[in-house]
Amino acid sequence: MAQELKAKGNELFKQGDYTGAEDFYSQAIAKNSKEPSFFTNRAISRIYLTKWTDAEHDARSAITLYGSKNPLALKSSYYLAQALLGLQRPQEAYDVASDAYKQSLSAKNAQTENLSRIVLRAKQAIWAARETARLREMDATLGAVEALIEADYKRALGELEGRLERGEIGEIGFGEDRDALRVDAEKNVRNVREAFALSSKGEVKERVVPDYLIDGITFEIMHDPVITPSGTSFDRIGIAKYVEKSGVDPLTRTPMTVGDLRNNYALKAACEEFLTNNGWAVDW
Amino acid sequence: MFATKRLSKELLKMKDHVPPGIEIVKSDNLEEWQMDIKVLDENPLYQNQTYRLKFMFSSKYPIEPPEVQFITCDASTGHPRTIPMHPHIYSNGIICLDLLGSAGWSPVQTVESVCMSLQSMLTANNRDERPPGDQEFITHNRRRIRDINFVYEDDNV
Repeated sequence: MAQELKAKGNELFKQGDYTGAEDFYSQAIAKNSKEPSFFTNRAISRIYLTKWTDAEHDARSAITLYGSKNPLALKSSYYLAQALLGLQRPQEAYDVASDAYKQSLSAKNAQTENLSRIVLRAKQAIWAARETARLREMDATLGAVEALIEADYKRALGELEGRLERGEIGEIGFGEDRDALRVDAEKNVRNVREAFALSSKGEVKERVVPDYLIDGITFEIMHDPVITPSGTSFDRIGIAKYVEKSGVDPLTRTPMTVGDLRNNYALKAACEEFLTNNGWAVDW
Repeated sequence: MFATKRLSKELLKMKDHVPPGIEIVKSDNLEEWQMDIKVLDENPLYQNQTYRLKFMFSSKYPIEPPEVQFITCDASTGHPRTIPMHPHIYSNGIICLDLLGSAGWSPVQTVESVCMSLQSMLTANNRDERPPGDQEFITHNRRRIRDINFVYEDDNV
């Protein structure tokens, strides 16, 4: 009975009627609240409907019902990570997705590729959130410093006006000194802004990924770098394809096999650190 | 496959900077590009001449090589282009260069590096002649460029 309701939900889901599908899955859950696949399916419907909080709840229920070590729960972890990203909780999304990615790799589960993509997206979101906070804070500090410079200029100008009124200086002298004060104040503001721009990495500095993190075949930042016997590192996917086909090292043309490729963990760590500080590089 | 992304990055890099004597003529789609190259030294065979190259990319680029050949342009276009005289370049523009064949290609090569190799292949040449059997070849060859089994025995040219 409950299974029939799920089948009806699946049909509507395929047709793109996510609200209808959600309704049938809810009816199925009302009949049997111990079947994890009902929750998994309702979670994905709710992701399509961008009901993130409900989707998070369903994905968590499914994972609890499957048991967290069960490979069947990996799909629910993928949905959970998506819901958490939707809820602007990227750090939690990252933790869920990277745990699931490791499990999925060792279980050779079909979700590995999806999970690795969401790990990157979560990294990007974490970086974006930090970047926004940093810029806001920077803006506030910059604003305060600029206000100080402005106040200082007004005080000096007030003194100058006083001297003019008391006849200590003439009109021409006043005009010259006033202009000099203005120029000084503007120069100070410019210098302060430049200093802030220099220390504000992401916004002002040119966005370039260093060449040593770029794969020579795909020209993208490396995610899973491996090293050839001749000592050059490439991202696994491209080099494996080429070596499979040609049987030689792309630089030295010495015969080699895919089995000769070794993980380059140090470079992997460098790429990961770069991505942590430069989330934009995911789309670069 | 990553052909599209890789080519758009090559383009981005070249828009920033191209080596002397190399110019992008056409790169509006990611299947066929055209490049102009010039020989920079005083070699009398190629002095003051510009030659046009056509690059064709498959979806397997850069795992597989692009198909590269010289093409002609009519004088009426305002940019007359001929096929350079060279013992490894057939009169229909097909080039006999090991790095352009499936066996000699490496995915670390780029459009730019291919252009530079061809520049230096011209620079180093002093023979005003076509490959042996040129007429035969251009009338009978129907194979794809990268599948032609050239014999690269002559390393002096």
